[in-house]
Amino acid sequence: MASIDIRSVRKLYGKTLAVRGIDLSVEPGEFVVILGPSGCGKSTLLRMIAGLEDISSGEILIGGAVVNDVDPARRGCAMVFQNYALYPHMTVAQNIGYALKVAGNPRKERDERVERIAKTLGLELYLDRKPNELSGGQRQRVAMGRAMVRQPSIFLFDEPLSNLDAKLRIQMRLEIKSLHRELKTTSVFVTHDQVEAMTLADKLVVMRDGKIEQVGSPSEVYRRPQSQFVASFLGSPPMNFLPAVVNASGRACVAGDIVTWPGQIFDLPENTRIEVAFRPAAAQLSQDFDGTNVLPFHYEMVEDLGSELHLYGSVAGTRVAVALPQETAIPPRPLGITVPTDAVHAFISENGRRVEPRLENTPPNRSLGAEQCRETSLSYI
Amino acid sequence: MTTKSRPPHVAAHAVMLLLSFIALFPVYWMFQTSFRASNEIFSSALWPNAPTLDNYRAVLATMPILGILQNTFLMAATTTLAQVVTGLLAAWALVRWTFPGGRIAHTLIALSWLVPFQVVMIPNYVLATKMGLLDSIAGLVIPNAAAAFTMLVIYNAMRGFPRAVIEAARMDGAGSLRTLMGVVAPNIRAPLASVSILCFISAWNDYFWPLLLIRRVENSVVQIGLQFFMTQEGNDWGLLMAAATLASLPILLIYLVLQRQVVDSFIKSGVR
Repeated sequence: MASIDIRSVRKLYGKTLAVRGIDLSVEPGEFVVILGPSGCGKSTLLRMIAGLEDISSGEILIGGAVVNDVDPARRGCAMVFQNYALYPHMTVAQNIGYALKVAGNPRKERDERVERIAKTLGLELYLDRKPNELSGGQRQRVAMGRAMVRQPSIFLFDEPLSNLDAKLRIQMRLEIKSLHRELKTTSVFVTHDQVEAMTLADKLVVMRDGKIEQVGSPSEVYRRPQSQFVASFLGSPPMNFLPAVVNASGRACVAGDIVTWPGQIFDLPENTRIEVAFRPAAAQLSQDFDGTNVLPFHYEMVEDLGSELHLYGSVAGTRVAVALPQETAIPPRPLGITVPTDAVHAFISENGRRVEPRLENTPPNRSLGAEQCRETSLSYI
Repeated sequence: MTTKSRPPHVAAHAVMLLLSFIALFPVYWMFQTSFRASNEIFSSALWPNAPTLDNYRAVLATMPILGILQNTFLMAATTTLAQVVTGLLAAWALVRWTFPGGRIAHTLIALSWLVPFQVVMIPNYVLATKMGLLDSIAGLVIPNAAAAFTMLVIYNAMRGFPRAVIEAARMDGAGSLRTLMGVVAPNIRAPLASVSILCFISAWNDYFWPLLLIRRVENSVVQIGLQFFMTQEGNDWGLLMAAATLASLPILLIYLVLQRQVVDSFIKSGVR
């Protein structure tokens, strides 16, 4: 187990800045998942930790020592690649034991360690096979075994499950999780799959355009996204965003009508554009248009996923998705939706940053936590 | 389906048979002429009336043909080994590292392939003379120790090799040379084999450079040895064909023994 400290790390490819000054700390034994869309710099960051990419500026420390100029093999890291990267001409046993052979370990010791790893991963019967005689899952296990046999202080995973089918991906995800619980080795896992990220991470890092958007526990990042990008990236169907404008009294207006948390004010200049957002699962259907907290919802189609229903439609001209329990009976039109206030988020349209309202009777510039917004509800006047 | 595809199928086979005939008939004529007595050397019969080994006996008596074959084999094998090793190392340097001038180096190597032998013949000859390589096997090998074609074939094969596997070897602690010899080279065996065969055949058949460099018959190679039977007084066809048959035998043997591997390697490597 070793810690990783990344300090102001940048990476330039020619004139293109792929990583724009990253600061991140990974505690010993922690499982950190770096999540982001393609081209956000997550794999580049992982490769810089591994030593496969040079750093343009900044420092990377492993176990407290700067490793900027240390050879990949001497950093104590083992890497599992996206496409397994097994040696095609070697058997499973030779693949797993190659690092030990290069290190000059005696054959007997090598064989013992390879057998032990193979047993842990259920590969005993395949030790004499070549990679092209294995299934995707078995190849993935060999790649894991090759990383494990070195007893590294850090595991680096570069989208290792992306080439597997859905069923195998879940199985391997669980195996990786249980291996981490057993070995407690510091791990950095790169993925663009939010389910992998949410289920595996102790600490979740969301990246975009070479920068970190948010760091936190999976539930923290999911429940309290710090930017519109993070809010839209996590969750399926993605979060709904309703464009709104802050009026003179600090309340948010959607399409000319006022959407507000009763008694809550945004300390933003008049006419500031914001996005009022909520997750599809937070919305509930309603036909009670007499109330003050019902948004008219014009639904267009329903998707039955077996476990839940997804309704797609629009609110005030903006496309909105609603996720409901499977057994929900959809009432006839006209329909409305209600969203509990503590499930509503707001982001400034210009920069996408999260903005919190304050209670009407408190001094300006005091941010409110989501927990303080509970017991109130979104109202539509 | 079968009846529909038969006519083009038959035509294709007919063309292939015709091409094979055109390619093989001269070889057959060389072979059967080598068994003809001098009085029926110009006969147009397909097989000699009285086959004889006299031509072979005469060749073995007139010139040290076994020594010449040995020289040729040594020259061709060493040239092949040198070309593959230099090609492997040069291609690895260009594939593995991005360095200033790398692309220019690649272009220059590719361009050097287009320079005809006649252009570099005189400078090479002068250099070989000054280095004391005249009339020696080393003189035949050294100027051909690196070849652009070999390098380019290996370079293309290496470029298709997954970069992640090379990086995995790096993570496993393998140095650059170990990665090349232990990981990359074993996985590009097919192109290496086909380019080696091409190198060997090309070196074996080389005529002009040995003609310039070699002076004594003991240091000669087969292609030069053959011209001893071509004189101003006329060609001794029987001896010439017997010597030519002996010269072709090693290449034919290599092909017959490794036929499957040769065809496989050419198909797999895309070199045709």
